[in-house]
Amino acid sequence: MRSIHKASTIRVAAFAPLLVAIAGCIGDRTTDTVQVGYRGVAMEQNYTRGDVKSQFTQVKIPTPLPPAGGSPPGPLPWQNVQVLNDISVAEFNRTMIAMSTWVAGTGNCAYCHNVANFASDTLASGKPLYTKLVARRMLQMTRQINGQYSSHVKNTGVTCYTCHLGKPLPNGLWFYSSQNDYLRHYLDRDGARVISKAVAPSNANRSSVKQTEWTYALMISQSKSLGVNCTYCHNSRQFSSWTQAPPQRVTAFYGIQMLRDVNSNYLSPLQGVYPAVRLGAMGDAPKAQCLTCHNGVYKPLYAAQMAKHYPALWGRADWNGTPFPGIMPSSASATGMPGSPTSPATAPIAPSVAAGAAPGPAGGGLR
Amino acid sequence: MLEYQNLFTRVQVRTVPEAGISIENADNRIGTGWFSYLAGKFGDAQIGPIYLGTLGVYSLLCGLIAFEIIGLNMWASVGWDLGEFIRQLPWLALEPPPPQYGLHIPPLAQGGWYLMAGFFLTVSIGLWWLRTYRRARALGMGSHLPWAFASAIFLYSAFFIQPLLVGSWSEMVPFGVFPHLDWTAAFSIRYGNLYYNPFHALSIVFLYGSAVLFAMHGATILAVARVGGEREIEQITDRGTAAERSMLFWRWTMGFNATMESIHRWAWWFAVLTTFTGGIGILLTGTVVDNWYLWGVKHGLVSAYPANNVLTPEQQETLRGRYQGTAPDSFPVYQPGSTRPMLAPEEIAPVINAQSIADSLTATGRVSIRAIYFDLGTATTRPESDEQYREIVTFLSQNPNSRVSIVGHTDNVGNAAANDTLSTNRAGYVREQLTTAYGVDSTRVDGVSGMGSRQPAATNDTPQGRRANRRVELVSAPGRNP
Repeated sequence: MRSIHKASTIRVAAFAPLLVAIAGCIGDRTTDTVQVGYRGVAMEQNYTRGDVKSQFTQVKIPTPLPPAGGSPPGPLPWQNVQVLNDISVAEFNRTMIAMSTWVAGTGNCAYCHNVANFASDTLASGKPLYTKLVARRMLQMTRQINGQYSSHVKNTGVTCYTCHLGKPLPNGLWFYSSQNDYLRHYLDRDGARVISKAVAPSNANRSSVKQTEWTYALMISQSKSLGVNCTYCHNSRQFSSWTQAPPQRVTAFYGIQMLRDVNSNYLSPLQGVYPAVRLGAMGDAPKAQCLTCHNGVYKPLYAAQMAKHYPALWGRADWNGTPFPGIMPSSASATGMPGSPTSPATAPIAPSVAAGAAPGPAGGGLR
Repeated sequence: MLEYQNLFTRVQVRTVPEAGISIENADNRIGTGWFSYLAGKFGDAQIGPIYLGTLGVYSLLCGLIAFEIIGLNMWASVGWDLGEFIRQLPWLALEPPPPQYGLHIPPLAQGGWYLMAGFFLTVSIGLWWLRTYRRARALGMGSHLPWAFASAIFLYSAFFIQPLLVGSWSEMVPFGVFPHLDWTAAFSIRYGNLYYNPFHALSIVFLYGSAVLFAMHGATILAVARVGGEREIEQITDRGTAAERSMLFWRWTMGFNATMESIHRWAWWFAVLTTFTGGIGILLTGTVVDNWYLWGVKHGLVSAYPANNVLTPEQQETLRGRYQGTAPDSFPVYQPGSTRPMLAPEEIAPVINAQSIADSLTATGRVSIRAIYFDLGTATTRPESDEQYREIVTFLSQNPNSRVSIVGHTDNVGNAAANDTLSTNRAGYVREQLTTAYGVDSTRVDGVSGMGSRQPAATNDTPQGRRANRRVELVSAPGRNP
């Protein structure tokens, strides 16, 4: 009944798992593992091989515009300049051109401005220029981030490009919904802690598994936003422990504080400015999360030093201890700005950039 | 009857289906059985006859009801879109009630359907267990199978007994493919890492042990099948060469061997103990131990290792205590057109009417108001506060000589200094609302102050206590009092 052939077939079949086992000994050839803590305790980061390299090569950093030189700051010859009034005319124009590249597409002044009257906040028809109103608030936000949150953005800082990446809508914008309620942690819902501080149960912590899932969703969104594992900020054997946590957790903590400031003071209040098409289903303004700046990378744009070339974005007079040329230490008053709105932009804009990109001879003002 | 049985046989015998032994007074089996070629490739080619009986019918019926409730809820969750239902099925869930319901009966859409599905599923499993017991007894078998099944049911039931013990439906496992796996991760994290739960460890030992025993036994019997080893029962009573060879093999290799009978006893206990110890581990979690990692530290289970790439002591000091807040007690329901979620049911506090305000101010000089609602961390009041505002206005108009000052209080979540500011701002906002939106003469509201979390009205350790502490007080102001 049982022939030699059958027996050999069985032997070959039994050999197949052995081949798998041998392949297993060679190891996983598609994952790179980087140790980030004490040896042997799985404090490590896993990357799909080649992913970081291809992401890195895909990051396009706009070439910084030629520096504006040391011309003295203000007063600016335009009306209705409310934020960038502590810099020189040259620096101002340079920043405007850069912003058009970062957000609206090169040379597209009309994305934010009424080109017949750059100082105006409305179109000729009287319709409000919401893009300009938002951009002004975003400039204030950028200065707040670079000026007040060095605990998170360090000396790298942010520019419009960090989030916008050359397009009007950044990635990862979120709106109120029951599904992503955990993102309200970045706005007004405090508290992610669910793990008890004592062995025995008590009323001190009644967090349920569902509340844990809320925190879990929040944490996974951060993990995905940065392209890192849990162990980037935590020792996963006890997520709550500060003593065992890697130092990146401190940076992340300040990032959350920063997001709460950004969302509650800069993004949410723009709700009345946006047209309905930009609002969420609940009628709320778009808000930011970690992904908005990080775009899946542990340091946005792999920590490319863009902001240091743009003194106007810092709201302070120095970068990493080096004074910016032509910057007043503190923001000047927005009112009583002398100068005619019709005086031409006199600053030497680099010809290669100025061609077709200068904000017009009428002299724009960012209201 | 001529029989040919061998694990490796490729011959499928086709004859009259075997009826087996006749069973007194319960032999109402359906059909006479038929043969399946495919089934014969894996096991016995004969299918049926089947005995379903009353228990089987009701068990299947209850199981079908649970299945339908779960499936239809999942389908409803994607707006009855069949394509999306199929595409997202692994991620769809029927979730247990949110934490704010405790062990109260929730609305259908807030976990009511979940409890119904869980009830029917449990009844279905219970009936099926009874069926296995009754069938085993009817055949004159031992009850090993029902009791092994009961061990698995014990683990299953631990997942709803533990929530009953800790007092919240919300602890229960969601129905859904990935959702129940996510739940597993969250359950472990919530209770400080189940890895350090010794019963969890035991369960894994028995689980892996079961696999090892399974592999050893299966391999041994297959290896001696050529000398009749698969006829295990015969080998027990009349030990033949197959049993001798396999026993000798294990005595050679590990010095000790199971018998044809005892190997099954080992396997049975390993399998039964896998789920039994697992269930104990679940029942102890959240009831006896709230943080298994700290339990492990206490009992020397956690190994220390050198600090390497961890926060500096300064950083730890900076951040320790900065993150005191717990996750939200409740989960919001958003209504279209509103930028904020509806007030959760448990947040709703009784409105103190004008008469009660007057009585309390006369008796104690102060009255605690909780029905003026603030959003978390903000000083502005929600529209739901209107009714309470109106009662205050009524009180002030009915008692023209009264003057009040307003004191704000918070719970102890978050930074103490920030709470001081917040409570003051809240009291100020209430005053402003009264004097502007509700037209109260500003001289009637004396002053505002904020106590932060320094004068709690209840414990800050429970959500209920924290809710009671988030309040504003009206205090009789000197001068024109009632």
